[in-house]
Amino acid sequence: MVIRFALAKGRVAKKAIELLIALGYIFEEYSEKSRKLIFTDTTGTIEFFLVKSPDVPTYVEKGAADIGIVGKDVLLEHPAQVYELLNLNIGRCKMCVAGFEDRPLPYGKKMVVGTKYPTIAKNYFNAKNQLVDIIKINGSVELAPLIGLSDCIVDIVESGNTLKENGLVVLEEICDISSRMIVNQVSLKTKRELIDPIIRTFETQL
Amino acid sequence: MLLNSTIDGFENIQHQDYYSLEKIINKLTTLYRLYGYHQISTPTFETYDLYVGEDSIPSDDLFKLVNHQGKVLVLKPDATLPVTRMAAMNHPNADEVIKFAYQTNIYRNFSSPEMIKKEITQIGIEYFGNDSPECDGEVIGLAILSLLENGVKDVHIDLGHVGFINYLFEELALSSFEREMLFQYIENKNIDDIACFLKPLDLSAEAKAIIIKLPSLYGEPKAVLKEMKTLCLNENMAGVVEKIAEIYCHLEVMGLASYVSFDLGFTNQMNYYTDINFKGYINNWGEPVISGGRYNNLSEKFGIPRPACGFAIDLMKVIDYMEQENLLPMDTQKNHVIFYGYDDKSAAYDLANNLRAKGEITEVFMIKSDWGYHVISIRENPLYKNAEIYFLSQGKLCIVENDQYISLEAITFESEVN
Repeated sequence: MVIRFALAKGRVAKKAIELLIALGYIFEEYSEKSRKLIFTDTTGTIEFFLVKSPDVPTYVEKGAADIGIVGKDVLLEHPAQVYELLNLNIGRCKMCVAGFEDRPLPYGKKMVVGTKYPTIAKNYFNAKNQLVDIIKINGSVELAPLIGLSDCIVDIVESGNTLKENGLVVLEEICDISSRMIVNQVSLKTKRELIDPIIRTFETQL
Repeated sequence: MLLNSTIDGFENIQHQDYYSLEKIINKLTTLYRLYGYHQISTPTFETYDLYVGEDSIPSDDLFKLVNHQGKVLVLKPDATLPVTRMAAMNHPNADEVIKFAYQTNIYRNFSSPEMIKKEITQIGIEYFGNDSPECDGEVIGLAILSLLENGVKDVHIDLGHVGFINYLFEELALSSFEREMLFQYIENKNIDDIACFLKPLDLSAEAKAIIIKLPSLYGEPKAVLKEMKTLCLNENMAGVVEKIAEIYCHLEVMGLASYVSFDLGFTNQMNYYTDINFKGYINNWGEPVISGGRYNNLSEKFGIPRPACGFAIDLMKVIDYMEQENLLPMDTQKNHVIFYGYDDKSAAYDLANNLRAKGEITEVFMIKSDWGYHVISIRENPLYKNAEIYFLSQGKLCIVENDQYISLEAITFESEVN
């Protein structure tokens, strides 16, 4: 039996693979430039593949992967029936509302929000009883308020440099974000003898 | 031309799958019948009122429509509630034991993700009027047997009890918001967020330690029972431990205990279970295929207080698994296809009727072009994979074998040979 990992492409995957290698797993075929899709370790007990982050919960929920490593932002945006077993505390950042320092958010009036995270933005403003028009943007979200597309943005903020360079500031913090290890609900039970040690070693690495 | 006429979440069932589905349903209804369950059926529509106060099914997940009287109806989103109502209406004596089995489609208007199935083919049982561990054991046992009988060997049942957490939260006098948040975290086994959430709460360190252990209360039954015993804060919690230990003993007697493990992290956040609940899994199959439990307060809604326990199987998920593992019962019966000439019509129909009377699948077609063309068109049609082709022309019968026409005295078939 093989334990399959679905990793979100990008920073998180890099750190997760480093963690796996630190745990003693050897992936001979893996290099950052490799075009292979699935990598198996030399003992043949662990396999991982790289996918776009919103797909990680889907793969794990459906059981195509036993374990997934993905940011909390994705789990909030695309809720899935999975066990969220470990907070890996890597890829830490904050989900924030950002805009212009001298222009307070127009609460009580119609507010236009540009974001990659429509569900998170909607839930946040709904909880404040604020009606919002959400504009889903797939990249360079900071552009939206600069050219007058939206009043503010909802996005993850790590260092705040991109915001600063574009004259934007964090106006409100929504929540903390970090990478989570998620596990398929059936795999945790039916492959327990294999998954438990992996979780435990990850836990001790933290 | 009608294009784009498929609806997300709804599927056709192809003939091979339908054949398997029917065989499986037959096998299971026979199994339930042998245990004394009576097959029943309830309407496809229910009144919206039935589900309004039911937290277990969010109103947004219901397919609603309005009838000519202005009454709001829903497409049946669940089988248990209507079956419970039926038992309450037709069997007003609360002490009666009633065992019902059903096979039905249920409908959920899930908003996301798009590909999720909204029409779910279920088969299940409901056992009313018995609150004993033997009843729970029988229900869980039948859930396991339902899969075993169909050749699915890697069955795994996770048994929990919502009371353990509920009695604990009652003892700690948690607010409904706190309960809801904790339920959610426990369901997701999200220990880290539980710890963060508990930190500012005004609870003893001991209580917090117990709550943090709840998500890890799963696995080998005897080990879990031992761990649970150390966490009991009151008699009710101890009662839960005793009860599931008893059910486990019962399953040992039935010889099915090896399929069962425990998970006390199930909550009744999204269902009406009051007591034990369980999920059935198949190894290497990512989603649960069985869901069940005890719902002792549901019948009271219909004026008859009556304990009950049951489960439902998601049949199409089981079929998907069986297909992958080549476990599906296949339709291998041969068809006899008879082509006849214009003058041989009545002889062909007589011949066909004789064959059908013996249980043979028989079809007749008139010869309309050359024989070779007919042979090819049948051979190319996947629906006629098992077909035997005959020609009846000018009173002479012949069979097509390896592209040769061999004359026959009469059509013979396996059941006759044996």
